[in-house]
Amino acid sequence: MTVVVVILAIVVVLLAVLVAGLLRSHAEILRQLHDLGAGMGGGATAPGPDPGVPATEVNRPRTDGRVPAPASGVPDGRRAVDIVGTGPRGESLAIRTIEVEHDTVLVFLSTGCTTCSTFWSDLQDPELPAGTRLVIVTRNPDEELPATVLDLAPAGSTVAMSTQAWDDLRVPGSPFVVHVHGPSGRVIGEGTAASWDQVLELFLRAGGDQRLGGGKASADARRERELDRVLLEAGIAPGDPSLYPATEDGGTDPADRSGG
Amino acid sequence: MRLNGHGLSADLPRGWEGTISLDRSDEALTLAGMGGSLRPVAHLATFPLPGGRGDFGSGAVELMRTEDVFVALVEYAEEEADTPLFARQGMPRHLDPRRFSNRSLQRGIAGQVGWQVFFTEAGRAFCLYVVLGDGEDVHLLVRKVEQVLTDVRIEPRS
Repeated sequence: MTVVVVILAIVVVLLAVLVAGLLRSHAEILRQLHDLGAGMGGGATAPGPDPGVPATEVNRPRTDGRVPAPASGVPDGRRAVDIVGTGPRGESLAIRTIEVEHDTVLVFLSTGCTTCSTFWSDLQDPELPAGTRLVIVTRNPDEELPATVLDLAPAGSTVAMSTQAWDDLRVPGSPFVVHVHGPSGRVIGEGTAASWDQVLELFLRAGGDQRLGGGKASADARRERELDRVLLEAGIAPGDPSLYPATEDGGTDPADRSGG
Repeated sequence: MRLNGHGLSADLPRGWEGTISLDRSDEALTLAGMGGSLRPVAHLATFPLPGGRGDFGSGAVELMRTEDVFVALVEYAEEEADTPLFARQGMPRHLDPRRFSNRSLQRGIAGQVGWQVFFTEAGRAFCLYVVLGDGEDVHLLVRKVEQVLTDVRIEPRS
């Protein structure tokens, strides 16, 4: 009798594991279908692009799954909003993002979220395309400590504390990035990733948009700075003979030194 | 878009943005520590205002394009109101383009022109400082400034 009970218990446990696995698989399929834009029931479909913006100007929302995805029901190319709020020093701010010549990248951050911590430091050198403005947006001072925001924010950066902006743009969590096309006042990209560098690669530099062409130049400059740093650490300064190809007589070719 | 703070407010026309902050310079903080209060500084501009600006726009006016304008409204100590320097009553909402010159700039930048005026309004002492991005286009740019000044309000100190 005991043997039968034990066997039945084992079978029940195995079945439970099997069911749990199937449910997990089902949930994963639903999540991926949702990410692909498939609707659920009633013939409903995922929101399409806002008719006010050509589809080619819209970057698809992106996320690597570890950070918040755009809220469902948010149409591509929707109208953005100007940002009204306060700064961490108590200043009143009214920041124009729509119907202006420049683009604005709004980075929604929190002081407490783990993923945000690298964003705060990486935004010291955001490497945005020329003519693009960066604005960090946190929630209101009654939800975030202004002193902490001030400590974390890069020097000289523009920080707006505005829960209204989070609500208006339906920001699902932090970190989150919204790219506003100034002249049209439309959101042309939104989403996030685990690091600012991933945001740049996956999101802001996506789509081959010529307006974002500065991204490559910016990446080249970064690589050059990194190479300079490595060489300097190795004791190789600008003009060091080892940087130039040797000529047949063992010296360096002066012609190569004047190039570049 | 409405900007509001420290007894100042402005309805910003299309293309304008602004900030109203408190002067936290060493001098201002020292005076505040001696029983004074921190004075508000409003900046209104037709271009993205960068962080870390000076009261009179240093750090910002360098970024202006020729079609841009910058306005600073800087409050002075309350006891300065109605003194000879601040004898003018009310902020001017209409400006005389002939008064703008390169010599009036706090920070001389080629091509730009500026003008400043001291006044008292609502019992408070202010300096209005305006920079135009192109001295060759003063009339048009002055009209742009007047457009925003029309809707600037100064409330009495509470």
